[in-house]
Amino acid sequence: MVKKEAPLELILWNEKYRPKTFDEVVGQKEIVSRLKAFVSAKNMPHLLFSGPPGSGKTTLALIIAKKLFGERWRENFLELNASDERGINVIREKVKDFARTKAFAGPFKIIFLDESDALTREAQQALRRTMEMFTATCRFILSCNAISKIIEPIQSRCVVFRFKPIDKKDVESVIKRIAKKEKFKISQKAIDFIYEVSKGDLRRVINILQSCAAITSNIEEKTVRSIVAEASPEEIKKILTLALKGNFLGARKMLFDLMLSEGLSGLDVIKAISSAVLELDIKEEKKILIVDKCGEIEFRLSEGSDEFLQLEAFLAWLAILKS
Amino acid sequence: MMWTEKYKPKKISDVVDQERAKKSLLYFLSNFKKQRKKAVLLHGPYGVGKTSLVYAIANQFNYEIIELNASHFRDKKKLQSILGEAIKQKSLFAKQKLILFDELEGITKDDRGCLEELLKLIEKTTQPIILVTSNIEDDRLRKLKRKCLLIELEKLSDESIVKLLKEICRKEKIKADEKVLEEIARSCDGDARAAINDLQFLAAGRKEINKEALKALSKREKERTVEDAIKQILEERDALGILQNVNANIDEIFLWLDENIGYFYRGYELEKAYEMLSKADIFKARITRQQHWRFLFYVSFFLTQGVALAKKEKKKVVEIRKPLKALKIWMIKQKQAKRIELAEKIASLMHCSKKTAYKELFFMRFLKF
Repeated sequence: MVKKEAPLELILWNEKYRPKTFDEVVGQKEIVSRLKAFVSAKNMPHLLFSGPPGSGKTTLALIIAKKLFGERWRENFLELNASDERGINVIREKVKDFARTKAFAGPFKIIFLDESDALTREAQQALRRTMEMFTATCRFILSCNAISKIIEPIQSRCVVFRFKPIDKKDVESVIKRIAKKEKFKISQKAIDFIYEVSKGDLRRVINILQSCAAITSNIEEKTVRSIVAEASPEEIKKILTLALKGNFLGARKMLFDLMLSEGLSGLDVIKAISSAVLELDIKEEKKILIVDKCGEIEFRLSEGSDEFLQLEAFLAWLAILKS
Repeated sequence: MMWTEKYKPKKISDVVDQERAKKSLLYFLSNFKKQRKKAVLLHGPYGVGKTSLVYAIANQFNYEIIELNASHFRDKKKLQSILGEAIKQKSLFAKQKLILFDELEGITKDDRGCLEELLKLIEKTTQPIILVTSNIEDDRLRKLKRKCLLIELEKLSDESIVKLLKEICRKEKIKADEKVLEEIARSCDGDARAAINDLQFLAAGRKEINKEALKALSKREKERTVEDAIKQILEERDALGILQNVNANIDEIFLWLDENIGYFYRGYELEKAYEMLSKADIFKARITRQQHWRFLFYVSFFLTQGVALAKKEKKKVVEIRKPLKALKIWMIKQKQAKRIELAEKIASLMHCSKKTAYKELFFMRFLKF
């Protein structure tokens, strides 16, 4: 375990192992090489980073700032999370105030607008000319998950970078590197499972890893499962298929076993079911019916009813659905 | 320096194409005293040089620009305080002013009284006013359009953009494959600013740009509007996850669907679709009641996949209508409020309860109060 007085950025592995140079970044090779060129030229247009969570958008924005400003990067770097501050006044006031003044060291300041697809359309409108009026003093880096939520005039003012989820090979290498540094063992199956549930989201990978390592220094698949508390979609699908065939008792046994061994709550299960249904090989109209029923069960659960009873009722309903 | 700044037009001739617009705008300014309409509404797609043209003219003919744009708070008071003085007659020796009201489409509901005040300013002004928008279809501009001279800037051709990029390459001493420049122009679809940005991106740290380099370039995307999303829900039989890519809140989706379903769905489909809307509505209410945000999953599922699958086959949807319900509800409430107010007065005059007066009002509807 970590000592109490350690600073938070060392306690959290995600901060501890956040790459500090371009060369430490895994994946996104093309993007990294272009950004390097911008930094060494000390000149760049506004940037728009688009991609799934945990793919390195914030990390690269921070590296750019550190490379450009060195020690004084904090004074020249404004980080705003648009999902917390998404209104127009943030743009009209906070952003403009920061953009107006000159950089302390380095060619310009950087405003990093994280999750900028959460900005209201009005706030995005207000951003347009702001991005232009202060180009002498300021550059913007916008990050988003869905680029189609960014209004076109803003896209026009930026160069677009598309980040991809980190692929398995890179996720594996990160896990192994951390395992070596933190001195724990991890089985290949555990690595596979972490990759499966994280879907290439490196932030998620590292958080799961740190939690596992807090429990044991020998991480197995079941350690990961106990942390994730997420029913694997495959198992849920098996249970649903069984119930849909009319085998109520079999499905119930599988479900209860799963809940007990993984420590899943009724809400965990119904959440997993509602998304697993969509991947079943049945008619689309039937899926609507099942999700509808899921919703009702979830509502009853949220009111505090008995979770086992409610799930049994659901399975019994599934068992007669084919007729 | 950013290239979009570095190569910003300094003279009118630097602005790419748009010859007709340049001519009209110059004519307007040089004959301003004789103009009946005292304002110009400059419109056209983004990145073709609307704002740049105004600045190029100001630079060349020594105008002082007073600019308000969407990054400014623009309510009635602010307009009066900033522009009220600027529109007045100046002494002969003062620098000629040019009022630039940029990004009309960015006016928000917080900018109260903005358009009305603009109309008034245009009536009174002694200085030229230029309004700029990239959305000339905006309903809110109807009155304004009548008071302004409309000048349109057109989407740039790929050839013009290539020419512009070549010129920049020459100045930056960069060798670029002609094919590369054509590809940039094509992907930027008439937007010169985007093209310059992309060129700077490709040129960073290089002296030569070949086709290989293009791989690193990511395309911009059309913004997905609510209309697009609604269209897909009504046309297709698969609309899963579609709301994740739309910048609209869930209440808006309800209104849009409610307005449109009736025009395209019939009989059983209609019944099923409304059943889905109704269920989504129940779950929305449950979110507020129980603070259980997971229910949002069901709300958006019913609104998208639920409504999409209420029909047996794909449909062709011609035109999505704007929701009027919110407006109607507001109007009904206004009317009711008036009637209640009237009923209160009548009640005290006729010595009856407000409730009775309200009921009796129906039979008195031909009387003039």
